[in-house]
Amino acid sequence: MKLLALSAFLMFASGLISADAAEMMIVPAGEFIMGDNADDYASPKRSTQLEPFFIDRFEVTNEEFQQQFSGHTFWKGFEPHPVTNITWYQAKTFCKQAGKRLPTEEEWEKSARGTDARIYPWGNKPLRKKPHPFYSGIIKRRVGLNKKDNSPYGVRDMSGSVWEWTASSENGKKVTRGGLWNHHLEYEYGKTFDRNLIAPSERFIFLGFRCVK
Amino acid sequence: MRQIGKLTRRLFIKGGLWTAALFFWNLFRGPEKVWGQEIDSFSGTDFVGKTREGKHRSFYINFWKPMRRINAKTWTLKISGLCESPTTFTLAELKNLPAQSQSSRLKCVECWSARAEWRGFSIKELEQVILPHASAQGVVFHCGDEYKEYLSCDALNQDRVLLVHSMNGESLSDAHGFPLRLIAPSKYGYKNPKTILEMEYVAEQQAGTWSKIGPYSPDGTILPGWDHPLEYDKQARRISGGEIIDY
Repeated sequence: MKLLALSAFLMFASGLISADAAEMMIVPAGEFIMGDNADDYASPKRSTQLEPFFIDRFEVTNEEFQQQFSGHTFWKGFEPHPVTNITWYQAKTFCKQAGKRLPTEEEWEKSARGTDARIYPWGNKPLRKKPHPFYSGIIKRRVGLNKKDNSPYGVRDMSGSVWEWTASSENGKKVTRGGLWNHHLEYEYGKTFDRNLIAPSERFIFLGFRCVK
Repeated sequence: MRQIGKLTRRLFIKGGLWTAALFFWNLFRGPEKVWGQEIDSFSGTDFVGKTREGKHRSFYINFWKPMRRINAKTWTLKISGLCESPTTFTLAELKNLPAQSQSSRLKCVECWSARAEWRGFSIKELEQVILPHASAQGVVFHCGDEYKEYLSCDALNQDRVLLVHSMNGESLSDAHGFPLRLIAPSKYGYKNPKTILEMEYVAEQQAGTWSKIGPYSPDGTILPGWDHPLEYDKQARRISGGEIIDY
């Protein structure tokens, strides 16, 4: 742990982490509880070991994406909104060109729930105020706006905002994490172990990404 | 007192008989039920509107407002706004356009979904004639029930988005949007306008009727969540978002 903190300090000091990358949060090495037995899609609940990594504190925005892909267009004023409507391949390329990569679903889940197997990034109880589609990514808002959507490692928007591509695959599709579920106009925050499978060539208005390194 | 008592009993018996008669009459009267067979409230009338009765139990019907049925002889599709050649098409002209069929599920944002075989044409067929301006960003659909909905040109030109005139091998019924409706399978039902009267090409995104009112996104893409398909007894199924293709 001390070694990791020291290496992070040295990376900051040596300028290896840019101002942009400084918005990455450290997730230390060690085991965490992954999955949940109550959800067929996420079972079994098991212990998983990971090496340390850095993860973007916020989802990649339209403005950041446009810096690499100049053809990416969006409505004026949407610069700080999470970029969406991009394929898994585009997300992967963006991360690679930024010297990063897409997170595995294990890395994503640990970043969201920490080591105490919490259901939501902020704890085990849903927020008193139910989510509105304004937080769904369908009607997007700037990343990090919901300050309560904060993980034990300070990573934001892992339960609301948009769904996120991961590097993991299952049955030819890519695993996506985070975001809201729509249950008859009743919107629910995604749980830390909720999973979704989407073909890598698909693009959706509710689907974005963040990177790790 | 005795006379009054006799009258009271007679009244009581009469009242009871009338009550029973009313009960049985109500049980079998229309329009909900005729001889025990349920039909919808608009059947036999000159109007269509929201209903989940009778044959529509297998495919619910939503309308913004009840509306008078469309007269096929006088109906035309007007295309207006930002295009080189604003044109008015008759139904016969539209049915002569190159057609394609597809099976797709209509998913309502309220909960239910149902699958049907649709037949119609791509908007590209119309755009070859009316030639939209480069400044046109999308289309506002004006419908017979005063419903309005907006879809971007990009969304309308996606594969599997059709302007349909037939459903399950027959012309669209009045309830399902005769004579022309949009089918965009990756979007909730409110982005699939029915009984289209006019398509207006516009320069800016606009909110449709429902998007102005409730928690309905202007984009309308189906979100990850749950579905209750009518043909599977409404048993909840998880959906990934976008078009439902798994069942």
